[in-house]
Amino acid sequence: MTSPLRHSDPSDHSLFNHVLSALDIVVFEYDENSGTFQLQGAPPGWWTQCFGPERDASLDLHRCSPFLRDYLADPHPVWEGQSDRLEKSGPWTESDRQGGTMTLEASLLSIGSRKLVLIERLGLDFEDMRSIVQRARERMLAEDRTAKVHRTTQTRLIGQLEASERTKDDALALLQHLGITALVLDERRHVTFATDRALALLGIESSTVVGQAWERVLPFQEHDCQLVQHLLAGASHTGSGGPFCLDGARPKWVEVDIHRDPRHPDRRIIVLHDRTEVQTLRQALTEQASFYDLVGKSPAMLRVYQLVRDVAQVDTTVLIEGETGTGKELIARAIHSSSGRKHKPFIAANCAGLTDSILTSQLFGHKRGAFTGAVNDQEGLFEAAEGGTLFLDEIGDIPPNVQTALLRVLQEKEITRLGEAKPRKVNVRVVAATHHNLSEDVVRGSFRADLLYRIRIARIHLPAIRERREDIPLLAQAFLSQVCTATRKTVDRLAPETLRRLMSYPWPGNVRELRSAIEFSVISCKGNEVLPADLPPEIVESQVQASPSVVIQLVDRDEKSRLLAALSDAKGNRTEAAKRLGVSRATFYRRLVELDIHPQ
Amino acid sequence: MMQKKICMLGGFAVGKTSLVRRFVTNVFSDHYQTTIGVTVEKKCVTVDNRELTLILWDLYGEDEFQHVRESYLRGSSGYILVMDGTRRATLDTALVLQQTVVKAVGAVPFVSIINKSDLRSDWEIDEAAIEQLRERGWTVLIGSAKLGQGVEELFGRLATQMMSPSPPPGMCP
Repeated sequence: MTSPLRHSDPSDHSLFNHVLSALDIVVFEYDENSGTFQLQGAPPGWWTQCFGPERDASLDLHRCSPFLRDYLADPHPVWEGQSDRLEKSGPWTESDRQGGTMTLEASLLSIGSRKLVLIERLGLDFEDMRSIVQRARERMLAEDRTAKVHRTTQTRLIGQLEASERTKDDALALLQHLGITALVLDERRHVTFATDRALALLGIESSTVVGQAWERVLPFQEHDCQLVQHLLAGASHTGSGGPFCLDGARPKWVEVDIHRDPRHPDRRIIVLHDRTEVQTLRQALTEQASFYDLVGKSPAMLRVYQLVRDVAQVDTTVLIEGETGTGKELIARAIHSSSGRKHKPFIAANCAGLTDSILTSQLFGHKRGAFTGAVNDQEGLFEAAEGGTLFLDEIGDIPPNVQTALLRVLQEKEITRLGEAKPRKVNVRVVAATHHNLSEDVVRGSFRADLLYRIRIARIHLPAIRERREDIPLLAQAFLSQVCTATRKTVDRLAPETLRRLMSYPWPGNVRELRSAIEFSVISCKGNEVLPADLPPEIVESQVQASPSVVIQLVDRDEKSRLLAALSDAKGNRTEAAKRLGVSRATFYRRLVELDIHPQ
Repeated sequence: MMQKKICMLGGFAVGKTSLVRRFVTNVFSDHYQTTIGVTVEKKCVTVDNRELTLILWDLYGEDEFQHVRESYLRGSSGYILVMDGTRRATLDTALVLQQTVVKAVGAVPFVSIINKSDLRSDWEIDEAAIEQLRERGWTVLIGSAKLGQGVEELFGRLATQMMSPSPPPGMCP
């Protein structure tokens, strides 16, 4: 070991070693002549631990790491006088003799012409720095992993989105291609998508549909709306209902299928099936079988229905002709209900059997004191029917004075109450009915010709039931249902033999008599099928005839006996007898006269 | 015995130290311990019946905290460029480092390896990128220090190239 920096003072030597010890470094000086590195001062303990005790004062580079060897072999500006700064090697790792490692760093400097190497063991500061770098790199790796996960997720989601969009496009194309009429609803039951076919059916643009509540898009009637709402709220995967009417300028009929969206249980798909054409045909069929409260699909009745539709479009007076019980009042009601007056009153008055004054008072009203018993002012039926329809049944039976007053009303559109002088304007459509042949009445002088022409502007002839026997099963079944509902009895059908008897019976009381017979049968019926024995006696006892012409020949004789039997049962009370036969009192009286029956 | 200095180069945490440890001591640790400075290891190999001592300079990883000193590269007979297949950015670092080495020591043999083949499903370096490296004249190996795959071949190929009298493919700049 050489003396430190070639100073000879022992105290300097000691001071130098203290400094080295304090700095924990080992110092070598490069000897250019020998090309060796000479140890200066006492080396610290770690140096000995790493390289062993020094055998001489020079550095044995072969015992050192190749790093230090190469480093010291390199040219160094600081030793060439080109720099007066400290030059550092950077850290390197050396193995010690105990199998451990230590990190060292060399520093080079020049003092005058002397070239020095200072080697220090990197300690806590270095470990702190290593720890910081370690954490920083671990953080970078973690962020890199996170970013990578995000990128992967993003890529996956974009892929899924693209696939989803493709699937959606395919599904939409398929939907459009198949022409399915469908709406997709979100959880709030707002429309999120509508197929072109649905838009065409509803006659609206996509932009006005999407985002709207389904009730606004599908203008169902209130009751139908509730049914569809119920279907939408249903727990089942699918539900269907209809047909429902979509209101609009051109109403549409649709059947509705409700499907759960398989991907979102709270969302719904409404598939609409346009049934407008079917419904129109169905309605046409229904109308052919029944029209308002009229039942029948015989050609004669179909002609009647068409006539009713025609006359309903105009405001003229109508004369309905037909035998008693054929349903003249029902025709009058149908005309009223089909006309523009349907929201105004429909008043029906039977003109038969009423005296001149009573009928006049009933039709035109009276002033208090106009006659005995007229204690108050009273408006007549014309005034009561203001804006609507007045049905005058049995118009052929009205007295001549009333005919005159009625004619004036029809001409002037005004009435004058009994006891008053001032006429009152009225706006009433008159529909009259009669079983008379009014033309013959005119010839006989019992009916005013001018009144006939005034009331017979339009005329409808109602066929007797015997003229439309093919309607009897339909009528019988309709009455059976009505009576069963009213009586809460369960009678499903008519036995074939029963129907055969109904078909062959002459039905002088027409539809009214048929209804009474069915009512009687239901009351008598013990099972769920009406048997012939359940029919009224006159029908049971009547012979089943194959030929209608024979029936007609038998009608008078059978009817006379029936009328007599009814009178007998009713103990001579004609009203009760008429009721039992299912005919009006007026008809009953008329038939008594026609059949030359003179009850006591 | 002939000695050859080999520098291990690459971005941080690509597995330089792990490859050296697997090669020298056949040990692998999942625990990442960043290298600060230089650690030098030695391993004797035989190439064409000639014994050769490889002096493996395991340099710290290149990143914004530490840049490779050109002085560390001086005297290198060859070098190994290490990339992490799971990080595309380490390929870019390798490209920069390769240029640095050429500038410092000239065209010496080198072999590159894309490490972490055990995580192949997570790789960001795809076949197209690998092909581009090979088109540059690089020898590109795929391996895993963790599994020991490709490690012997990595050092063996470089040793062979360094002992080869004719310029090997990996020497082109």
